[in-house]
Amino acid sequence: MARMKFLCDVERCIDCNGCVVSCKEGNQVPVGVNRRRVITINEGEPGEKSISVACMHCSDAPCIAVCPVDAIYQRDDGIVLVNKETCIGCGYCFMACPFGAPQFPSGQVFGARGAMDKCTFCAGGPEETFSDKERKMYGQNRIAEGKVPLCAAMCATKALMAGDADKVANAYRERVVKRGSGANAWGWDQAYKKK
Amino acid sequence: MKRLYSFLLPAAMVLFAVIAFAGDPQILLSPGPEPSTATFGSINKVFTGDWQQYGQLFTDWQGGLFSRVFLLILTIVPALFLLHFILIGAKKFSHEGSPVFFFGLFTRFIHWLAALSFSLLVITGLMVIFGKFIGGGPLVMTGRSIHLLSALVFAVTAVFMFFIWLKDMLPMPHDILWMFIMGGYLSKKKKPVPAGKFNAGQKMWFWLATVGGGVMAWSGYQLYAFDGMTDQLRLMAILHNFLGAALIAFFITHLYMSLFAIKGSLGSMITGYKPQEEVEILHSRYKM
Repeated sequence: MARMKFLCDVERCIDCNGCVVSCKEGNQVPVGVNRRRVITINEGEPGEKSISVACMHCSDAPCIAVCPVDAIYQRDDGIVLVNKETCIGCGYCFMACPFGAPQFPSGQVFGARGAMDKCTFCAGGPEETFSDKERKMYGQNRIAEGKVPLCAAMCATKALMAGDADKVANAYRERVVKRGSGANAWGWDQAYKKK
Repeated sequence: MKRLYSFLLPAAMVLFAVIAFAGDPQILLSPGPEPSTATFGSINKVFTGDWQQYGQLFTDWQGGLFSRVFLLILTIVPALFLLHFILIGAKKFSHEGSPVFFFGLFTRFIHWLAALSFSLLVITGLMVIFGKFIGGGPLVMTGRSIHLLSALVFAVTAVFMFFIWLKDMLPMPHDILWMFIMGGYLSKKKKPVPAGKFNAGQKMWFWLATVGGGVMAWSGYQLYAFDGMTDQLRLMAILHNFLGAALIAFFITHLYMSLFAIKGSLGSMITGYKPQEEVEILHSRYKM
């Protein structure tokens, strides 16, 4: 079984935020929720780097470990999904996540957090595939359509890659060899290293 | 002429740029440092902090330790009291003699308001901790809302209780003695126990419930509002869980003492009066 992974090439990301916009628009994400965002360090200085981050769909995911109601689960292909009907909005997954991926829409009773929302790797949710309910609650299910996630599909510089881990790693390795420089992809040690 | 300008202008701009950045030639020579572990580390700092420090700690503890601690407290503490009830049994006092006035009407009202909100806090808190066994979803979500509302009520009553009982709850030298004999609860004999209006056990419960309750309210607010850095929230969650465990242990103790350990002692919080003999034995230093 293929293992789905994200990879953001720090050398290529130009902070255009296209991935953020396409995700938000394509999945009709609630107001105040950003499933993906771009972080820039050393802005305006030599050595400025940008990186696009969403849920990394970790192996041995911390969010699954801390969820008190077992609302988060991992598919066989590594994609981590949340069941919004089980989630109680306690926020523990946000505290456990090394990438700040879990998001919470506000505007519920007493301003309480609603069910957690995060990147689904454009793989929908636990509802029936291609159903209206799935689309409304979780967004598109592009994986079931055989497409890569929106953010990676539209990335202009192809900094953001998504898909089968081996293929993504190979493409990145070729780039690194051609550039004659580089290091392991950002976040991979943290997200995918088996303990 | 036009051609000359179109050549001169860019040339002048390049010259200007070279002069302007002369002090920092790196920007002209390279697109910046290559990605390295250090670069990745500085990216990490921007949005997740040093996860290994508190993130990992919180993940490990919330992933197993907390729910086990609560399960232990919910089983071992009642089991110990059941053993006590079977082996030593309840203390019975004669209800003859003139009853001693202990709790005023306002005190009793505040106590029962606190009791109600605190019980709800314990129940809904445990609903969140053991949420996976009741399926999560709207039920536990409602529990969370009730947890918030009860916390608001309890926070107010805790302030009242603090000032009503503060004078009688200050630690005294004889409290150490009370601790050594465990308040006389380990024997069936009725020997006067060194305690004023409140014994050392009640004092511990008082300080934990009022000051500890304040800390619970403060950390709970931050967990509710997500008000603070992620590392701070992690520490608050750890604090909220451990302090909550201690509070539940004392809450069970308080229930056992008032309902079972001393026969009829619940009445004093309803009528306001304690039997004379009970005061003479259990609160021997109370000036009637």
